[in-house]
Amino acid sequence: MRISRPETLAEAEALIAGGGVPVAGGSGFQLEFSQGAVAPAHYVRIGHLLPMGIYREIDGLCIGAGTPLEEIRQAGLPLLSEACRDVAAPNIRRLATLGGNLAWGKGCLIPALIALDATVETREGEVNILDYLAEPKGIVLYLTLRPLARQTWRKIGLRQAFTASIIASAGAMTLERGKITAVRLAVGGGATPPQRLQTVEDWLIGQTPEAVDRDILRERLEQAISAPDCAFRSARYRKRVAAAALSAGLFGLPERHAIRPVSRPKATIPPELTELSRADGGARWHTRPDMPAKIRGELTYLTDRRSPDMLVGRILRAGRPHARILSIDTAKAEALDGVAAVVTHRDIKGLNGFGILFQDQPALCADKVRYTGDPVAAVAAVDAETAARALALIEVIYEDLPVVTSVEAALAEESPAVHERGNLVTEVIHDKGDLAAGWAEAVHVVEDTYVTPRQMHGFMETEGGWAAPEGEGLVVCVGGQHGARDRMQLSRILALPEDKLRVITSPTGGAFGGKDELTVQPALALLAQKSGRPVRLHLSRAESVEAGIKRNPMWLRMKTGCDARGRIVAQEVEVLSDSGAYASLSPGVLETAMEHVVGPYEVGNFHARGRLAYTNNGIGGAFRGFGANQMTFAIECQIDRLAEKVGLDPIAMRRLNLRRPGSPGVLGQKVAPSERLIEMLDAAGASPLWRGGETGPKEFGPKEFGAEEMRSEEIGPEEIAGVGMALNYQGNGLGTIPEDEADFALALKGGKIEARCGLDEIGQGMVASLHAAISTRLGCGRDDVSAIFGDTKRAPDSGSTTASRGGYVVWRGVEETAPGFTAALLERASELLHRPIEELAIVPGGIGEARLNQPKPVLSFAELGEIAPVQAHYAFPKSDYFKGNARFIFAFGATLARVAVNRITGALRILDLEMHTAAGPVIDMASYLGQMEGGLVQGVGFTLTEDMPMVKGRPVAKNFDTYMMPGVRDVPGTMRVTAHEGLDPGDPFGPRGAGELGIGAVTPAIANAVADAIGRWPVVTPFPPEMILDLMEAAR
Amino acid sequence: MIRFTLNGQPAEIAPDAMLLATLRENIGATGTKAGCEIGRCGACTVLCDGAPMNACLLMGWQIEGSEITTIEGIGTLAAGAVLIRAMEIENGFQCGYCAPGVMMSLTGLLSRDPAPSDAGLEEALEGNICRCTGYHSILRGARLARKMLKDETT
Ligand code: FES
Ligand code: FES
Repeated sequence: MRISRPETLAEAEALIAGGGVPVAGGSGFQLEFSQGAVAPAHYVRIGHLLPMGIYREIDGLCIGAGTPLEEIRQAGLPLLSEACRDVAAPNIRRLATLGGNLAWGKGCLIPALIALDATVETREGEVNILDYLAEPKGIVLYLTLRPLARQTWRKIGLRQAFTASIIASAGAMTLERGKITAVRLAVGGGATPPQRLQTVEDWLIGQTPEAVDRDILRERLEQAISAPDCAFRSARYRKRVAAAALSAGLFGLPERHAIRPVSRPKATIPPELTELSRADGGARWHTRPDMPAKIRGELTYLTDRRSPDMLVGRILRAGRPHARILSIDTAKAEALDGVAAVVTHRDIKGLNGFGILFQDQPALCADKVRYTGDPVAAVAAVDAETAARALALIEVIYEDLPVVTSVEAALAEESPAVHERGNLVTEVIHDKGDLAAGWAEAVHVVEDTYVTPRQMHGFMETEGGWAAPEGEGLVVCVGGQHGARDRMQLSRILALPEDKLRVITSPTGGAFGGKDELTVQPALALLAQKSGRPVRLHLSRAESVEAGIKRNPMWLRMKTGCDARGRIVAQEVEVLSDSGAYASLSPGVLETAMEHVVGPYEVGNFHARGRLAYTNNGIGGAFRGFGANQMTFAIECQIDRLAEKVGLDPIAMRRLNLRRPGSPGVLGQKVAPSERLIEMLDAAGASPLWRGGETGPKEFGPKEFGAEEMRSEEIGPEEIAGVGMALNYQGNGLGTIPEDEADFALALKGGKIEARCGLDEIGQGMVASLHAAISTRLGCGRDDVSAIFGDTKRAPDSGSTTASRGGYVVWRGVEETAPGFTAALLERASELLHRPIEELAIVPGGIGEARLNQPKPVLSFAELGEIAPVQAHYAFPKSDYFKGNARFIFAFGATLARVAVNRITGALRILDLEMHTAAGPVIDMASYLGQMEGGLVQGVGFTLTEDMPMVKGRPVAKNFDTYMMPGVRDVPGTMRVTAHEGLDPGDPFGPRGAGELGIGAVTPAIANAVADAIGRWPVVTPFPPEMILDLMEAAR
Repeated sequence: MIRFTLNGQPAEIAPDAMLLATLRENIGATGTKAGCEIGRCGACTVLCDGAPMNACLLMGWQIEGSEITTIEGIGTLAAGAVLIRAMEIENGFQCGYCAPGVMMSLTGLLSRDPAPSDAGLEEALEGNICRCTGYHSILRGARLARKMLKDETT
């Protein structure tokens, strides 16, 4: 690429006329390239030639085109400063210039500039902004703005801040002697073309603001605005919200309609709760052992590994949703200088298939591709550019096949088959009681279809790592969730014995279920094997978005009936789930959803059927919550809706229907003791959030150091708030059918107590939990522990880091090994010190006096020498039901949300979240709190902003510009998390799983809060704001 | 080649090369992370002459003569050193992959304004995506750093 830096504007213009592309801040190009724009051959730098600064002049405000948006944002200018705030995050605002935003033509500042009647000055002279937009000519030098007395601005996007624009509206108005004498109205931004709404302006001129009929105004605005549909929002929504925003901004808000809020009779008495925060935790709060390195950027992730002889790998993806492969020709790629290896299915010596449940997914496709991200070939080259060029030289000839775009279509008789065995992957049916008799008793019935999104895991570290020859085999290092199983799957593909393979899976920059299945390991291993050299491969975000596993979208049709008192007497459930192109763990997800089909309630009669189908819509599989959170959404909304019909408050309704502790589980299976549903209901009923209603409690949230104040979030005049609650009920472990076992060992080496545990550190705090559990059990310090994990060579197989099983695996491992290990330590110490064992004890740092209160070590761990591993093998506790997969251990909780619904935009703001949890003793407070908070906010994303719409088998969102995970502005103002830690006397099962509780019931809590605010329940997630507006209208 | 300063040391970059790729691929300074490469996640945040910027949006020609500070150099900045202590105490992160970017965004802010409002702290993080924490632990760490900076000066 040529980059010139002209000395004068004239020179710049000549270069631009010769085909150069002008660039000032350069903040927008990477996004454009990611959307398919080709990088220009010649950049002409103009930033240094542009005037900068803001000048107040007689005829308006004059701004140099080179002024960074951040400077304008801070300058307190009418309309434009606010608009600059909404353009992008501060980092980008520092780079981007006013002239650049205008010249780009799609910038969301443009409506603001139109409403400010900007004059654009170029070297050719001055023109009005509308004329400039119609025919952009010349380098923009200055903009002169003419504000009016009253201004309004609003950008509507896909989340609260730093979002692509759906539509932005700007208005300005001046009154003289009570009459409108000047008014400017404009919309634009994103896909909406910039436009000034002249006809409406003409209609307004001369009217008094009080006399303006708002309904007619909005109608006229909607007619005047031209706006498109897109995959995210409809044209109707765009017009409607822009009109409402302009009307409200210039003429005031519409009236509020009163809604009958949910009744909250008397406060319950809460159980004993531990507040989870540093202030409340005191001595229980520790810095996690992995924290210092992470904070300093010193932790080497597996994708950070570099070495001089390391090659760079890339994968060739199908790029089409469904096609037969006719031929793959790699000759040209292989001939390219710098290419060390090209691999295709022809290089696979073993089974060309993988999958945790069944091996229907090719490592590299041979005869057919089933989704756009399907891998067809891979290359390893000396650098990334060469690898990219080699990919482009691989010639694959396809014959496209009809695309299966939905579950309904997939299950239709005439559907093309994604796999030869047919499109139905699994069907799960559960029945209980006599449904007809149940319906006969039903007085109130609620029926609806709940829809849940294709959520993306969005781990910040995308799939990747490195692999290299090691001895006669290979070492494969890729972020994962079960190294031993990855090794088994790789061994099958490579036809290499497992003992020739070493798999390292930690540390990982987030997983959430999305790295449970193999990701890039097969391609990486094949490349390292063929090239005989170390190879690294790290997916770009765009590739990860296209190729990675997602949450299975589900459609849950649910019909629930209760008698006059509120007892649920019948329920029918029909679930459809989209597996995408392969099965992975999707059958398990469906099973888990079906296992939670009546939630924690006693329902005598039900029929439930779930079906999972192959489609060409990407690939689905494990994601935190694993089907349970989807089903909980449906159940917990049904309960509230029935409660409203019966006239019971939500807590009383739940109490009436709650399962009895000790009764069989949903499938009739035996379940573990220490059920805590009643306690969680009491915690919710006593909660200040629940009792505070719309305005919220005055004081809310944990005590905190350094906070400005502690209060629940306030609502604005255009918002209506409501409070909702839902119960969490989450099965832990893999269930009765799959093998669910663990190995664990404690050893003494190099002065440290080595905890050898094959689980992975994916951010959840597994390592912190190991340190905590060992220190608590043995009496040593937390820093006396060293964790050996996530490496099949150094750590034993402890099973998968999934299904909320990690806490139990850690705790039980320590319980099993502690007695033997303690005895060995004390025996050794007794020999060395010539003292009886009874006088000695493990203390922080080594061995100390048993009788002293604050024991100091008399012998350090280093002085004890080495102690051979004390090992344990154990199973995750299982139930007695084997006809289907059933859980034995459950964790419990209650989630409460206070939510504000925006009357203009239909968008939701989560004001406060509160979560009470009952998952047994908390091993490490900071990690546990982190799991809850992080899970809650991931659930907020699921509920409000995250989805991956597919059009004809292709994902619409390609990167984080349109896939909207919650940003810092989207999270609740306050979050409070508590733990009810006690177990029943004699309960032998220790801590319950914490990983999936956070996300488990936040969606129905929010939905129920919306209903409290507006009187109707949204059933499609992420809640479309348009649907919220419709519901609000319908409720009137 | 374009010259710039990387954590106090002289460094070079091609005019049309992306700073992020140069750091991670050529120089091997992998502390700075890649999360999206289009300016939408903040994982790559570095300080450019003290101001937080996205290394994936900076090309060589944009940083001629600039002083670039990455997470590897955070400890040399007074506000950065305090922020490190505060984040450790509050356990700001989980997987830690967003941490280098978040730390640089906050260090840039606190170096310029040691006593930002809560809203100011949030605004500084608008461009940083964290998938693990839900942001509250990060904000607690940032608020603690603000308090520690205040306590230091009073
Ligand atoms: S990698 Fe630069 S912002 Fe995401
Ligand atoms: S801690 Fe994992 S992304 Fe922030």
